[in-house]
Amino acid sequence: MNDMTRPDELDPPYLYPGYRSTALRAPREPLLELPAGALDVPGPTVPREFVRSGDNDLTAHGKSAPLGEKMVLTGRLLDGEGRPVRRSLVEIWQANASGRYAHPGDRHDAPLDPNFVGAGRTFTDDEGRYRFVTIKPGAYPWQNHPYAWRPQHIHFSLLGNAPVQRLVTQMYFPGDPLLDIDPVYNSVPDDAARRRMICALDLETGIEGVALGYRFDIVLRGAKSTPLGI
Amino acid sequence: MAEARTPSQTIGPFFHEALRWEDGGNVTFAEPGRRIVLSGRVLDGAGAPVADAMMETWQLSPAGRTPAPATGSARPHGFGRVETGKDGRYRIETSLPGGELPCIEVSFFARGLLKALRTRVYLASEERVRADPALHALAGSPRLKTLVAAPAGANEYRWDVRLQGEGETVFFAA
Repeated sequence: MNDMTRPDELDPPYLYPGYRSTALRAPREPLLELPAGALDVPGPTVPREFVRSGDNDLTAHGKSAPLGEKMVLTGRLLDGEGRPVRRSLVEIWQANASGRYAHPGDRHDAPLDPNFVGAGRTFTDDEGRYRFVTIKPGAYPWQNHPYAWRPQHIHFSLLGNAPVQRLVTQMYFPGDPLLDIDPVYNSVPDDAARRRMICALDLETGIEGVALGYRFDIVLRGAKSTPLGI
Repeated sequence: MAEARTPSQTIGPFFHEALRWEDGGNVTFAEPGRRIVLSGRVLDGAGAPVADAMMETWQLSPAGRTPAPATGSARPHGFGRVETGKDGRYRIETSLPGGELPCIEVSFFARGLLKALRTRVYLASEERVRADPALHALAGSPRLKTLVAAPAGANEYRWDVRLQGEGETVFFAA
């Protein structure tokens, strides 16, 4: 088996037997090392018009409010040196409060919520901050192994400012007992790195009497490059 | 400090609603260029189609420069994002990149990929690609041809991607 995990590797390996879907999708040949800095080039400049007002409020697109615990999710997008990643696209998606995605491929027998699609996007500001309003997603069963349930999570896609910063990840919630049995979460080899995928309860960033506050900072690789015009 | 990085996780099977960009497979630029179509199939280690992947592309403009910011459009120049279909097929329409050796940077995200797979497709003859210093480790390898698109008629290129197994595509260390 060639799982190609480098000793200093922070990300999960491609081949992780506990997550069945990796078996036929993980490359087995060695990866080609590109010259240093090859991916540290300016990335795409996403026009401001790409994000419309309200795209960061996942609770505002139905006839009434969606079911579930309303939450305000804020955080900062930073690079490895702690510098803000500015004006960069953040896209999120998630299951509804009963653990069902508004997706034709989701066969989980839990109700759809007509007031919740579960997709949002925003840009970070000049300090790297972002903010979403949403509901806490439900856990759901999946077919990976007997009694498999995914912990509650929100998917994040970060474009970053250079191709080397591109990241897709998942955010988990503190104290979730399902984290211990989740192969996706546990595919990250280092415990401290795993815990960086867990958000923090931060009540005062919520809305008093209305919404819980959670904070989730995301750290990308460092990059010298930024998109043109940013 | 780099150790404080947030780790990668799989995109999973349910990203489509959130990450689908309208007309994301029609890559635009500020300047005119020769329009081309790049298409093919993505297959797994059993040769089965990968029907739930997202593919992103990034490339130089027809003039060989970093694509200029878009004006009067909601999408960035030079960047493509498409989904594979039921049969593992993808298709992007773009302009032939400028520069000495035209190539497109490609990333794949999918269920079963705990981190993105990065590669590159060259729109040039295998002989010319073999001379690229960035690929010197592959100079004598038959695997180099997995990075070369095949011309398929006027302004069309075909490039199939094999994630694993016989004919496995060359992927890059991220």
